[in-house]
Amino acid sequence: MTAAVNARTADWLLDPVLSPDVHDEAMRPLYDAAGRGELAMPFCADCELALELEQDVCDGCGARNRRWRRVDRRGVVHAATVMHRREPGLVHADYPYPIVDVELNSGHRIVMTTAAPSHTAPPIGSEVLVGFRRLGEAAIPAIDTSEVGP
Amino acid sequence: MVAGRQLPRRAQGRPGPVTTAYADVVGLGMTAMSLRPGATALQLACQATAAALTDAGIGYHDVDGLLVGSSQGIRPERLGVSFAASGGFGDLRLLEHVEIKGATTVAMIQRARHAITTCEASTVVCVFADAPLVEGKGSGSTYAHSGGNTGVRGLERASGLLGSVPTYALLAQRWLHVTGTSADDLCAVAVTARQWAMGNPAAVNHEPLDADGYHASPMIADPLRRCDCARPVNGAVAVVLTGEPSIGSSRVRVRGTGRDHPVRRRRAGAESWFGGGRRAVDDALEQAGLERADLDLAELYDPFSIVTLALLDEYALTRGAPSGEFVRSGQTGPDGTLPTNTGGGQLSGFYLQGMTPLAEAVIQLRGSGGARQVPDATTALVGGIGGRMDHHAALVLERAA
Repeated sequence: MTAAVNARTADWLLDPVLSPDVHDEAMRPLYDAAGRGELAMPFCADCELALELEQDVCDGCGARNRRWRRVDRRGVVHAATVMHRREPGLVHADYPYPIVDVELNSGHRIVMTTAAPSHTAPPIGSEVLVGFRRLGEAAIPAIDTSEVGP
Repeated sequence: MVAGRQLPRRAQGRPGPVTTAYADVVGLGMTAMSLRPGATALQLACQATAAALTDAGIGYHDVDGLLVGSSQGIRPERLGVSFAASGGFGDLRLLEHVEIKGATTVAMIQRARHAITTCEASTVVCVFADAPLVEGKGSGSTYAHSGGNTGVRGLERASGLLGSVPTYALLAQRWLHVTGTSADDLCAVAVTARQWAMGNPAAVNHEPLDADGYHASPMIADPLRRCDCARPVNGAVAVVLTGEPSIGSSRVRVRGTGRDHPVRRRRAGAESWFGGGRRAVDDALEQAGLERADLDLAELYDPFSIVTLALLDEYALTRGAPSGEFVRSGQTGPDGTLPTNTGGGQLSGFYLQGMTPLAEAVIQLRGSGGARQVPDATTALVGGIGGRMDHHAALVLERAA
């Protein structure tokens, strides 16, 4: 891999050693969709309830039949922090970075950072749009800071 | 006040176990709480167990029950049921590894009490040992490197959520936002904990801490500073429980236990990190026949300052006051209505999971708290939480002799 390619694909924040296992059966639909620039989340195939990412049995109807589908990339900040501790070897940013828990319009909740470098976090209640960043071979949901709302 | 009636049922003509309606803590053993790597968890468990047995005035062959607890995740060597053999015990009638994260210690006491009062065992050792500190690595670094790259945790780590501090920072931001509490109240918790720790020789943080010192403490993950976070140690604590009235000279009775495991969903319209847990305290108090106002002290599980605030509120221990105001006005301090985490808690004392609050409660109820002793302490609430405040366990203890 050339240095130029490396520069284009290197994440602004983390070392590729933290890249998630994209072949992990439970999470693969999320990473596959992210690779296509889409956000996918799991639902109960029987009653359409939004399920947690690793939830096998629907707590609404008891069905064991979940289906991933593309969802709206908009959401609202549920909680946010700025992480000051930067673990050597794992975190490459030289300044504090945001970690945000986003409540998606689909009803799901997911933790992410920002797609572009940032040292601030949007406040609770802010509307955000989910984009993607690349870490190793994985595309990962991340807040598109160019679209952060008030 | 001592409740519970002894009901001896010794088999005629041969020695055998005595069944009682109660279980008492009669032995406490603690290692030094070390900020440096050294002994293994197994070696620490051996030290604590020997000290607890000596404290109870018995030997290994007087024990017929052993419950072991250890930390999940980052430890390559965990204490397990093989401790029965390696720790020098004889034949046992009860042997289990108890695991419910930070609620494990209270769960062990609950299990021991059940065994003793149902005659499954007569004298039970509960031991917890942990050795997270390794050579050449700070504890924060060790935690940051743990968690793996699969499942939700893998996704979170790939988003920069490394170690447990940022998770609790998110929880803190949400809790402060929802309750309208000021982040300044975190300072009040940390300063109060340090005040208590200064009277505890076993505490790892002794230096005085005021508000200026708190605000000078490095930020780890907003709003949590280093002073808002517990310091993991290598150490072990063991306790001996028995229903046998002839064992032990100092008795602390298990009066009530309770558990609550709220299953929260990370889904729109609901809180996913807090809410639920009060039932554990309600049930423990009801078993004990006590009210919250009867408690002389509370020893809560406080890995982060935000947790003390959230639990005082969740467990309804503040007589209706917002928990931040309760702490700020000194109610959890030495002259307060509910002295809380009187050894400095996990924040300034030492972080040995659920054994931190249990050990301090036993010390206080024995009247051996020295400079930090709460006068006439007779009843105590001990709490344990696991995960992201997902598992709650409560214990009510009372001085019995």
